[in-house]
Amino acid sequence: MRRTRFTYSLVALFALGMLLVQVPLQNAVNSRRPEVFDPNRRDPNGSLANIKGPTPVLIAALGGFRTVAADLLWLKVDQLWDGGAWYLIPSVLESVVQLDPHFLLGWQVYGWHLAYNLNAESLLEVDRRYWLDQGIQVLHRAVATNPDSSEMTFELAWTYFDRAHDMPKAAEYVYRASEMPGAKPYMVRLRYRAYEHLMDFDKLWEALSWAEGKFKEERVHQKLVKRDISWWKSHWNDPHEHRRQIVKENSARQQRTLPFALFPDDPFWNVCPLCGMPTRKGEPECSVCHNYKFAPEKVKQGDSKA
Amino acid sequence: MSPQVSKLILMVGLFIIAAVLVMTRKVWAGTISHGLPSTWRIAKMTVAEARRRRVLQAVVVLVVLILSSLTFFTYLSPAEQSRMIIDSGLTTIAGFGMLLAIFVAAFMIPHEIETRTIYPILAKPVRRFEFVLGKYLGALIILGVVVAIMTVVLVGVLILQDSLVQDLPDSKFDPNLFGVVFAAIMSYFSLAVLTALILLISSVASTTMTVIGAVLLWGVGSMQTMLLDLSTKVTGATKLLTLAFFYVVPPLQNFDFRMDVSNYQPLSLGAAIFALERGVLYAIVALVVAAIFFDNRQV
Repeated sequence: MRRTRFTYSLVALFALGMLLVQVPLQNAVNSRRPEVFDPNRRDPNGSLANIKGPTPVLIAALGGFRTVAADLLWLKVDQLWDGGAWYLIPSVLESVVQLDPHFLLGWQVYGWHLAYNLNAESLLEVDRRYWLDQGIQVLHRAVATNPDSSEMTFELAWTYFDRAHDMPKAAEYVYRASEMPGAKPYMVRLRYRAYEHLMDFDKLWEALSWAEGKFKEERVHQKLVKRDISWWKSHWNDPHEHRRQIVKENSARQQRTLPFALFPDDPFWNVCPLCGMPTRKGEPECSVCHNYKFAPEKVKQGDSKA
Repeated sequence: MSPQVSKLILMVGLFIIAAVLVMTRKVWAGTISHGLPSTWRIAKMTVAEARRRRVLQAVVVLVVLILSSLTFFTYLSPAEQSRMIIDSGLTTIAGFGMLLAIFVAAFMIPHEIETRTIYPILAKPVRRFEFVLGKYLGALIILGVVVAIMTVVLVGVLILQDSLVQDLPDSKFDPNLFGVVFAAIMSYFSLAVLTALILLISSVASTTMTVIGAVLLWGVGSMQTMLLDLSTKVTGATKLLTLAFFYVVPPLQNFDFRMDVSNYQPLSLGAAIFALERGVLYAIVALVVAAIFFDNRQV
């Protein structure tokens, strides 16, 4: 009897020692796989405790089959897409990205579907604005969940650039994307495109020379950047080109129901603070809503002489 | 947990293990010198028994058919196809591997006792620890062969699809063969840990209880991160309890690299090595406890 007890004690002691050794080993695994074991690194909604989705999907996720459950839902997205059920797709895509937070294509399609398709499908301006914001929010979550992916950061930058027309943000995110490992030449070039739209020539020259310094071995990239540099050297002081850019930008803004933007001291247009639409300078009141009277322009001393 | 505390725990744990090993040196030194040939013989016998089972062969054929059918996703884009095949293939390996581990390991000891084939073995100069270890080694060999067959079929399917699917400018079929083989090997190690735990349960329980226990252990082991998530949401004693549970449950999720492979993320070799070390220690504890329980069992 005594011997059995002694043996059990030794086994218990041995098991305790083994379990204690496992703690630092598990910590080493946790630190090397933060995308799996760091709760702060994951999308908070992607935590198993928070997953929203059909019961069979949850059961699959609990059993360690998260990615397959995400794949099956991805096939469902394909089916919904073909059936034209566009407003059902976001909820399924939400489950997809919660189950597999590193599925980049899932995040990209989710953000794109909200910011582009549902935005364009909406009839009311407030709805269009809502879907655009939702799309951008989704892409921000995607970037937070996949901070090492240049592709994902570029997707956010592109949505800011192309859809929201928020050029400072686009420039910021495209810069981040182009500094990441695995960045592509088109990411570098989009940065100065943002400053072109902003008419910020100080930053435009800086971004152009920075782009020229990148991907020196890429012949096509170098050719495109050099072409743009020479174009802007001959057009930087061209008011017609500036106006063309402003009209282009504002057309896009009107389409997405965003407030109009003019570059500082625009010589051609005023923006009505009531309706937000542009009116040609020199007009006494807003040519769209007629409810706002613009202050008469102060005539400069030099101009009066002319 | 701070690195100092982690280091202290490691030192205490190593000291306890060393002390126990020194105290029991006469027992294990004798077992190693005497037990290796008989352990190997029992392992070979286990493999021979498994080869005769039709169910095992049927499962292997079924898995090969499932893996071959993964070539049907042709309506998806090339990038989606490769992700779908890799993901479904690795999940098939992990899922059927788990079922086979339960099927092979849960029936070993209880079946030997029920059919009374254990008596002629134990009548020979074979210690019970050698018997448990031999059964474990046999199960590892069987699972190794089955996982290898499944991996070869999956790699073959990926190579075949890679040659058939035409890449698009913005969507390429990437078979990620290194990642697939890596994830399959890690799945095998996960099965090795699970098998040790199943043997531990089967050394004290009936076949039915062993199967239920094995499924529960597998489920809990696959939810390590959930425990970690829960620990961030609670405080005080509950947090400590959740964390303790996180360190005690079978570390099966450490071996799960399927998400990394199917998303083409860089694979951490360091994490794999540490996971392997933890798995080996876990399996050793399970086998030692299984041997003690089996030693005390009235057979």
